[in-house]
Amino acid sequence: MASVVTASSIPAHVPPEMVRDFSLFTAPGMAPTPNGDPQAATACVHAGPPVFYSPMNTRDGKGTWVVTRARDQRRVLQDPETFSSHRSIFASALGESWPMIPLELDPPEHGAFRSLLNPLLSPKRVMALEPAVRERAAFLIDRIAAAGTDCDVMKAFALPFAVNIFLRFLGLPDDRLEEFVSWANNLLHGDNVQRPVAARTIIAFIEDLAAQRRRQPVDDFMSFLVQAKVNDRSLTDLEVRGTGVLLFVAGLDTVAAAIGFDLAYLARNPQDQKLLRDEPGRIVLATEELLRAYPTVQMIRVATRDVDFDGAPIRKGDYVSCATMIANRDPEEFSNPDVVDLGREDNRHTAFAYGPHRCLGSHLARREIVIGLEEWLKRIPAFGIKAGTAPIAYGGHVFGIENLILDWS
Amino acid sequence: MRIIVHRDKCQGHARCWSMAPEIFTLDDEGYIVPGDLDIAPGDEKMAWRGAKSCPERALEIAE
Repeated sequence: MASVVTASSIPAHVPPEMVRDFSLFTAPGMAPTPNGDPQAATACVHAGPPVFYSPMNTRDGKGTWVVTRARDQRRVLQDPETFSSHRSIFASALGESWPMIPLELDPPEHGAFRSLLNPLLSPKRVMALEPAVRERAAFLIDRIAAAGTDCDVMKAFALPFAVNIFLRFLGLPDDRLEEFVSWANNLLHGDNVQRPVAARTIIAFIEDLAAQRRRQPVDDFMSFLVQAKVNDRSLTDLEVRGTGVLLFVAGLDTVAAAIGFDLAYLARNPQDQKLLRDEPGRIVLATEELLRAYPTVQMIRVATRDVDFDGAPIRKGDYVSCATMIANRDPEEFSNPDVVDLGREDNRHTAFAYGPHRCLGSHLARREIVIGLEEWLKRIPAFGIKAGTAPIAYGGHVFGIENLILDWS
Repeated sequence: MRIIVHRDKCQGHARCWSMAPEIFTLDDEGYIVPGDLDIAPGDEKMAWRGAKSCPERALEIAE
């Protein structure tokens, strides 16, 4: 993955003194690391300038400007006219160009799709989904507790939990769960052969589902989508595809990773674990702090015009990275940002980004994490990392954790 | 106490609503309903916490 940074990979308009040898892919602590803490490892940038240029800071090795301060990330993400999100991230894996919707649309086009989808994932709608989410968490954790006194949390709980909620939202049965997980894994973490194969598989799945629901609508998300109107017209096939794909890639890995990082933190911090177990009313607030400390994504925008950003000569077409884990450790925004304080109240973290593209699924994600932690602490006694094992955490495109073996024997 | 609602800045995080659902009202899409808020003396602490929780700085506290 790492390769040598050469002068030729740095555009001529970038002043050499603004280049830093830091990237979410290659910096120390970003590669898969036993007992690693990749989010904490990003905090080192706060010793440096507010904006710098990272020559290799995307999965395909492109350079980006890196905006480190929370205040400045707000300026970027609240200004989609200057900093567009139209990047065709998914389609580019296939050498194509079409947007994931609504993420990769810009206003005003974005607003119509967002208004269409917002009610489906609003805070009130999520309240209605809650009993099913809780039932699923309880089912999975009871099964784990009955099976023994240790488990691989990602495989036995976090992934099947997040994927089940997603399948339920789409109106699909649970029997394809493992297949879905492998698609998502290959897409997000696969190599240059696995990624396009997974992308094509997901597209075929979504288009097949859309066709079925067009023929015979039921009460589910895809039926809603194929019957929906934006600006008094039906969605095109490419729009249905773009929306379905975004839902697929956004909803699976991220929630599971968050639950993994959170349980790893509690396994390593028995006092905090005991506090939340004894006083579960604290879990809602604690979840916000864990979202601050362990977010998993970086937002990348494309400059639509030349702009001077506090001395950084950003040119049209440049990538601008707003990494959530970096802003969430900004000492100007958070007191003692490197300390995880589960009672932290003043906590305007950016785990779900800022601006019009604020994570559409944030309300559901939050509740999945809260409910996951509540049910886990209710059902599993004091737990730690299993002796002789080491969870492997990594940075990159989407931060994650694997081989998280918890033990409560 | 009065809270000035900058509706154009609201992006639907709903952090204010989760802190104080009786004070901050959301529309069907999950964004705050337009209009500034006059806060009763007994509600000031919760209103303050809700306003201070907005990631977008859409809620301004005016004494």
